[in-house]
Amino acid sequence: MTGFLSAAAERLRASVARILNGDGSDGSGAAIAWRSGGVFVTSAHVVRSSNVNVMTPDGRQIRGEVVARDVHRDIAIVRAPAAKMPPVQTANPDVLRPGSLVFAIGHPFGVVEAVSAGVLQAVGWLPEGLELGRQRLRWVQADVRLAPGNSGGPLADSEGRVIGVSAMILAGLALAVPATDVEAMLVGV
Amino acid sequence: MTDTRTSLATFSDELADATADAGAAIVAVHARPRLPSTGVHWQDGVVVTTDGTIRREEGITITLPDGRNVPATLAGRDRGTDLAVLRIPTGSMPITRLGDASALRPGNLVLALARLGDDSGGPRVSFGAVSSVGGPWRCWKGGEISRRLQSDLTIYPGFGGGPLVDASGRVHGINSGGLSGALATTIPFETVDRVLKLLLERGYVARGWLGAAMQPVRFSASTAKQLGLANDGGLIILSVEPDGPAANAGLFVGDVIVKVDGQPLDDIHQLLRVLAGDVVGRTLRLDVVRGGGLASVEVLVGERPRRRS
Repeated sequence: MTGFLSAAAERLRASVARILNGDGSDGSGAAIAWRSGGVFVTSAHVVRSSNVNVMTPDGRQIRGEVVARDVHRDIAIVRAPAAKMPPVQTANPDVLRPGSLVFAIGHPFGVVEAVSAGVLQAVGWLPEGLELGRQRLRWVQADVRLAPGNSGGPLADSEGRVIGVSAMILAGLALAVPATDVEAMLVGV
Repeated sequence: MTDTRTSLATFSDELADATADAGAAIVAVHARPRLPSTGVHWQDGVVVTTDGTIRREEGITITLPDGRNVPATLAGRDRGTDLAVLRIPTGSMPITRLGDASALRPGNLVLALARLGDDSGGPRVSFGAVSSVGGPWRCWKGGEISRRLQSDLTIYPGFGGGPLVDASGRVHGINSGGLSGALATTIPFETVDRVLKLLLERGYVARGWLGAAMQPVRFSASTAKQLGLANDGGLIILSVEPDGPAANAGLFVGDVIVKVDGQPLDDIHQLLRVLAGDVVGRTLRLDVVRGGGLASVEVLVGERPRRRS
C-alpha cells in the first residue's frame, strides 16, 4: 500500500503525451497512446488544426495528423507513428462498481504528468437536474479533481487500465468519455 | 509490484463493498424541483434527510435502491439541526448500520454517499478523509450538534442528506450541504437519534423561550466585588415581550441576568444552550442585578413561537 498508485501511474505515464497545436496556438491537453503504430486518442476540443505536435514523455516532439474528430462525443484520433510509445491497456468502465478507486493523468494548469486520485461515481447519463443532464450521452462520472490540461488524458482503474478519456468538469464532477465509445469510434479508422 | 497492485486492487474492492453495503439503505428524496436529495433509512419505515433539501411538504416521493418510487410523508423537520424525517412503507429495504463514534479520527478515509434516482441506479460516492473531530457545537442555524465531524469530501449537488460512511461501510451521520463550507459537515448520529425521536413524537423540536431580548454587559471590578459576583459579566434585558415568560415572571428592561440555576452567565450562547435542551415547561431560577442589588426571579420557560419555514 505504501506504493499506492505509483506503480500503476508510472506505467500509464509512459503512454501519455502532451498535444501542441500545429498552428502555433496554445495547446494544453493530453493524448493517450491507444494502439501500437502511433494511434493516439485525445479530446476534440484540444486539437484545433489538422496537424499537431505530440510531445512524448521522453521529451521528443513528433508531428501528428488528426485522422478523425467527433465534436459531439469530444474525441479526436491522431496518428503519429514516429512517437513509438507503448499503448495503454483499456477496460470496460461498466464492470467497475461505484466507489472503486480511479485516477487521472494529465497536465493540469501546465503541470506535466500530474496524477489525481478518487473514486468512480457512475457510468451513464448525467442526472437530469444537472446542466447537460438531458443530452443523453453516456459518461464515466468520477469524484476526481480535474483541471484544464487534463483534457484528453486517461481516467484509469486501480490497475492502470484506461476506462475513459477525461473531457470536462461539471458541478465539480469529473466526466470522461467511456473507453468503450472510443473503441467503437476506432473501428471506423 | 505484484503486491502493490494486489493490495491496491483489494483496497479498491473494499471501498466498492462499503459503497454497496451502505448504499443498500439509502434513497433518493424527491421534495424539490430538479435534482433530488438523498435520505438514509434510519429505522424501519423512517428515512432521515436534511431539512434544507425539503422544498415541498406534500407529494414527496422517494426512489428505493431497487428503483421503485414510493410515496413518503413528512413526519417532522427541524431547521436548527437541518434534519427532516420522512415515513415510508415499512419493510421496504435494509436499515442502515451505524459505526462506532470513537473510531473516526482525523486522517481516516471516509465516503459520502448519494442516490439521485438516475439511470446509473447505483449509489453515487465521493471519497476523502476526516479533517477534524471535536466536541459539542452550535451551528449557525441554531441547533445543538453533539460533536464536530468535518471532512474534505465534496458534497456534490444531490449529496445533501446522504450518509458519511467509513471504510467498512458503517454510517457515522448525515452530510449537510447547508452546514458545509470549505469542509463538509456531518451531523453525527447521536444528534440524528435525539432529533429523530423528538420529530417522530411531535413533528418539530420545541425550543425554550423567555420572551426577552438581551445583550452581554460587563460590570466594573468594584461593582462585581460589591455585589459579590463570581464573574464580572451578565446579560442585560433590552426588551420584554408582553405576556411572554419573562414578563409573566416580573423581569424588567434593565435587569441584568448573572446566573441561571446557580450557573454564572456572561455570554448569550450559554443561555441559548440551556434553552435548546429539554426545558419547555420547566422553571429556571435567574439571579438578576436590579437597582444596585441582587434579586432572584423564577421563570417558567415557554415554547419559542415557531417560524414558518
